Amino acid sequence: MTYCKLSLRNARRQARDYLVYFVTMVLAAALLYAFNALAASEEVRFLAAGSANLSLMIALGSVAVVCVFGWLAAYSTRFMLSRRGREFGLYLLSGLTNRQVARLFFLENVTVGAAALVLGAAFGGLLWQLLRAIVLAMFAQPYRFTLDFSLPALGLTGLYFALIYLFALGRSRRRIRKMKIYDLIYFDRQNEGAVLKTGALRRLVFGLSLVLGVIGICLLLQMNMYVALAGALCAVLGLFGFFLSFASGVPAFFDRRPARKYRGQSLLVFRSLTAKLASMGVLMAVLSVVFAATLISEGSSSVLYGILKGRTAEAACFDLYIGIEGGQPDPEPYLSYIGENIPVEQERLYPVCMTGKTQLQDYLEDAYYNYDYDSDPVLRWSDYAALRTLAGYPAVEPPGPGRYLIHCMPYLAGPLGAYPEALLVGQTALSLSGLYTEHLSQSYGTANGRGYLLVLPDEAAEGLPVHHLAYAAKTAQPVTTKQYEALAGLARAERGRENYTFVLSKAYEEAQVAAQAVLVCFPLYYLALALMLTAVTILTIQQLSETERFRRQFALLRKLGMDRREMARALGRQFALYYSLPAVPAVLIAASFIVHLAMMPEPGVMVGWNSPAAITAVSLGVFFLIYAVYILLAYTGMRRNVLPN
Amino acid sequence: MLQVQNIEKVYGSRNNVTKALDRVSFDVADGEFLVIMGASGSGKTTLLNCISTIDMVSAGKILMDGVNVAELSEDALAKFRRERLGFVFQDFNLLDTLTVEENIGLALSLNHADPKTVQTKVREIAGKLGITDILAKFPYQISGGQKQRTACARALVAGQSLLLADEPTGALDSRASKNLLELLSLLNRDMGATILMVTHDAYSASYAKRVLFLKDGRVFNELLRGGRERSVFYHEILDVLAALGGDVSDVL
Repeated sequence: MTYCKLSLRNARRQARDYLVYFVTMVLAAALLYAFNALAASEEVRFLAAGSANLSLMIALGSVAVVCVFGWLAAYSTRFMLSRRGREFGLYLLSGLTNRQVARLFFLENVTVGAAALVLGAAFGGLLWQLLRAIVLAMFAQPYRFTLDFSLPALGLTGLYFALIYLFALGRSRRRIRKMKIYDLIYFDRQNEGAVLKTGALRRLVFGLSLVLGVIGICLLLQMNMYVALAGALCAVLGLFGFFLSFASGVPAFFDRRPARKYRGQSLLVFRSLTAKLASMGVLMAVLSVVFAATLISEGSSSVLYGILKGRTAEAACFDLYIGIEGGQPDPEPYLSYIGENIPVEQERLYPVCMTGKTQLQDYLEDAYYNYDYDSDPVLRWSDYAALRTLAGYPAVEPPGPGRYLIHCMPYLAGPLGAYPEALLVGQTALSLSGLYTEHLSQSYGTANGRGYLLVLPDEAAEGLPVHHLAYAAKTAQPVTTKQYEALAGLARAERGRENYTFVLSKAYEEAQVAAQAVLVCFPLYYLALALMLTAVTILTIQQLSETERFRRQFALLRKLGMDRREMARALGRQFALYYSLPAVPAVLIAASFIVHLAMMPEPGVMVGWNSPAAITAVSLGVFFLIYAVYILLAYTGMRRNVLPN
Repeated sequence: MLQVQNIEKVYGSRNNVTKALDRVSFDVADGEFLVIMGASGSGKTTLLNCISTIDMVSAGKILMDGVNVAELSEDALAKFRRERLGFVFQDFNLLDTLTVEENIGLALSLNHADPKTVQTKVREIAGKLGITDILAKFPYQISGGQKQRTACARALVAGQSLLLADEPTGALDSRASKNLLELLSLLNRDMGATILMVTHDAYSASYAKRVLFLKDGRVFNELLRGGRERSVFYHEILDVLAALGGDVSDVL
């Protein structure tokens, strides 16, 4: 039999035995292709209006992703080598040379890699269409499915894959060429070296690691970034300590509590775990840190997108808005430019006034409101009603005589709605008749108040001091970048030390959000997916490598009278614990981090689907969805193979 | 205690049928030490598997205290195995990940024994079998003889009434084999354990009270030790084996 035939046959067997690894490499190729296609797409470059940055960011992301998948390939090939050492030893015994065996191993891995690349690129084509649809939706562009294939993206994916495999196989090749028959045959007996040699030291470290873990999590829950960082450090140290000492610490715990050890399936479950962790403590800690990095990367991406989206949703709710400030605010240059260049369907020029008092500002206190504003901002009812029409909001009842309305950002609705006292404007006392929370451009200094404004009957607002002038319009077409930049240029030319005139265009702001998302959020998510797939694949390969041991164990247990339900329960519990161990600390560390990050922006931005709780929940949801798919695949396969019929 | 009545075991499909057991019948009394002998392929391990309910007979009955084990449900069979049967295998079959104490305690744990009493019971049986000082060790840290003692302890700790041993000395050196066989005799004599052992080794068989010889799936002969010396009984077994036509390697 030629080497090629033998390699091909082994490659087929490898793809079957290490199906999880093969599937992950297919997904890796798909991810690499889809993001390369994104970076190479003229359409996306045009929309993002920053092609150099886009390519750079995706390239940086790809470098990180290639390193991550390189680690996976290197780990998996070494693992396969250890499992097949006996087979390679037999090849040597049969007369093949080390060089020939190395070549055989190289060829079969290259075959598997090439198959993964072909399948992955095909799947990547579909994934790219999904990415494209998301990007176009973000830029408010129509999407139509097209079956195009990017040659540059394919070339780059091939190059990255070659790098991944050459790195992984180069190491294995050197190893095989140096190994003697004995080393190969007994290669599978080599475990990860025990870092903590003595049982007493391990038990001490186990206790310390638990203490460090608890301290770390307590610190992480404090609402202070520096304290949280110290907490993260403690938690990571605790994590390494825990996994390195687990194999001694847990048996010591059970030895002191024999009744617990012999209850139900505890004995089998905990001993299976300690046996496994005795040989992969460092790896387990590393995987836990990688899971935390996955969640942090994923969460950071969502937080960043949430900040951009949240700020823009509030600020740019009108097609065009200009806040004009100054001692004698002059709207003429802007109105003139708009009249000549921008077709407008509806528009309104209006003053934003002040009550001269800080009654509501004082009431809200720092907990809710930390902006400096001279006094409570006011809008005339007629202006407010026009603004609602411009923004496309339903009409509301006007405030009657002696009444007023509040329009505020949603986070202030609770406290402002509960304001118990009458509002004093001059000598007149007004009572609240309604509160509305739609976006109304309330997050900047020269906007419709900061966070909130009072809407008074026109006659009640008569004579109040003007804070600034504002202009809002509904345009016939979205404002173009050129038009926006012309207006912004006018504002810059007028802007003095006390003048904060600024221009906001819905189309421009939304395009900026989409561009930033493509530039920063996408690469972060890209990295998160690569980290997740790599870590869960390594974890699963390790678990599936126990198939033979589990098969022997359950065959014996059947003879000893354990029924199948109990076996399935023991296996399920072992799986649950095995997969929980690296995930739980990672979730605790990362969730604290994400919540901190999401609470950093000014109030009112991270609300609704962008609230800290929602972002954390969605990040965890995506994480556990992928995790669950791998666990389910591993569990069903293992259950079918190890439980007696 | 055990009645085996005309059992048959057939393997294979319609065109390629192998009869591993052919109308085998015998009884095992309470407190008996019975050995089943035969050459490789004679059906002795199949017989043991059928008795231990790991395999099902094609015809005939196996009654344990009057209950036909073939009529038991899957759950009842599992319960029957863990409560009534103890196993000792040629390759020890201890779980590598458990200590000696835990391997023994596992049988109690499977029997849903009160977890608080497990350690006490394990130490009690370990004391009787002389393995107290290795209780904290893992199987890879102890000798073959110690592993087999551990297996015996596991087979008896939950009060199982029938100990089934499949070539228990197969992986032991002669000294460890002798120690194990003396231990089995002791368990039979002093603790009243009922033992059914399968072997092709005449020396091992000479420790029994009765020996059944299987050939081509059928009971060929039966020897009772009675009051004879073990060495005399051993030679009688050799004579039967010679008549059976077994290989020299099977006999010695």
